[in-house]
Amino acid sequence: MAQPETKSNLLTATNEDTLGPYYPISLCDNDSMDLTVIRSGIIHKPVGEKITITGCVKDINGQLANGCLLEFWQANANGIYRTPDNETHELLDPWFNGYARHRTKDGNFTLTTIKPGACGERAPNITLTLFSDGIMRVVTQLFFEDEPSNETDALLLSIPEELRERLMIKKTGSGDYNIEIIMAGDNETPFFDDLLS
Amino acid sequence: MSNMGRQIEIGPTDNTSNERTPRSRLHLIPEAARASFAPYAPYNYGIAPSESDMTRIAAGRPRAQGDPIKVTGKLMDQFGRPIRNSLIEMWNANKHGRYTHIEDHSGLPLDPNFLGIGRTLSDDEGNYEFWTIRPGEYLARPDIGRYRPKHIHMSIRGGSSRMITQMYFAGDPHNDTDPMRILMGDNFDKNIGQEFATPDEGFDCGYKFDIVIGGKNPTFFETT
Ligand SMILES: [Fe+2]
Repeated sequence: MAQPETKSNLLTATNEDTLGPYYPISLCDNDSMDLTVIRSGIIHKPVGEKITITGCVKDINGQLANGCLLEFWQANANGIYRTPDNETHELLDPWFNGYARHRTKDGNFTLTTIKPGACGERAPNITLTLFSDGIMRVVTQLFFEDEPSNETDALLLSIPEELRERLMIKKTGSGDYNIEIIMAGDNETPFFDDLLS
Repeated sequence: MSNMGRQIEIGPTDNTSNERTPRSRLHLIPEAARASFAPYAPYNYGIAPSESDMTRIAAGRPRAQGDPIKVTGKLMDQFGRPIRNSLIEMWNANKHGRYTHIEDHSGLPLDPNFLGIGRTLSDDEGNYEFWTIRPGEYLARPDIGRYRPKHIHMSIRGGSSRMITQMYFAGDPHNDTDPMRILMGDNFDKNIGQEFATPDEGFDCGYKFDIVIGGKNPTFFETT
């Protein structure tokens, strides 16, 4: 954690510190795992294929990791992310935000969403940020098996071939998918670093 | 290998760190994928000014027990450039050392007028300001009798992902035995809020806590 001694004029960065077990779930206005409804009681629905992804988060012993906070972030069916820059994009879906936040009490989760479209050269994917006691946070992206664009996706190509399988959301039925996140140990899910240097 | 990132260390404070810390090095995100990792929570549009006043449950409600304090500072990169419009979330225990989180089973007193959770956006100069109650220390590990010193948690979201940090208080007797403090070494100073007087403002005092994003922080921030 300590910064190395340097002679540069750069300011010393603030230390990162543990998240702790009491990360407030109520910072989100609503703990929501249904991305297909951004306003209840309204007839409009987002464009695209509605899917349900069930999954779980496991620790090094194969036990469910209870009390994790999960954040999901994805593009809409047209591959457009709802960022401020895209607010006036013609393919923005006004009925889809693409952001979900949820605290899983026991380590299981169910996400109802729209299957994301390919964004530019990227294969369809869902970013998952995982906050938990014991770590600060880790981040990864989840892909859909049988998508031809997986073959050319920059992120998938950046990791060894044998690890790519671990990021694949498996189809288990019509509109039903499943993924297991393994935080540590055998078959550990590949996590990514956003460190610049 | 050039495309490998950090090895996350097993943290000393949290109970489940051994079970949950990835054993493989993180993989560096290729440039083509970087932007897609930055979530934009729709809530960022609608943060009420009262959400940075943690001394009350809501505007007009009674003040919580304990010493009201101001926590303020500047969010910047290593060149001192302001990081604007970033979501800063803050949470801390009440004056007795109790969180309102459902998994705080310490049995310490709750304060009906204290939630302990706030959020705000940094302004055009990167400045932020919270009002809260000076938190109490708490017995984090009853099994070994180890306290956590008084501290305030913060999460900062910039152009990409997060930084998670904590602000500490100078002179807390539990600072010296805190495992995170020991890990930080001399650089622990960076995580201490600098006390300043707030005469006639209704606070016990203020703490200046500048946050510098960069270096070994595992978070990439854009400054535009
Ligand atoms: Fe804490």
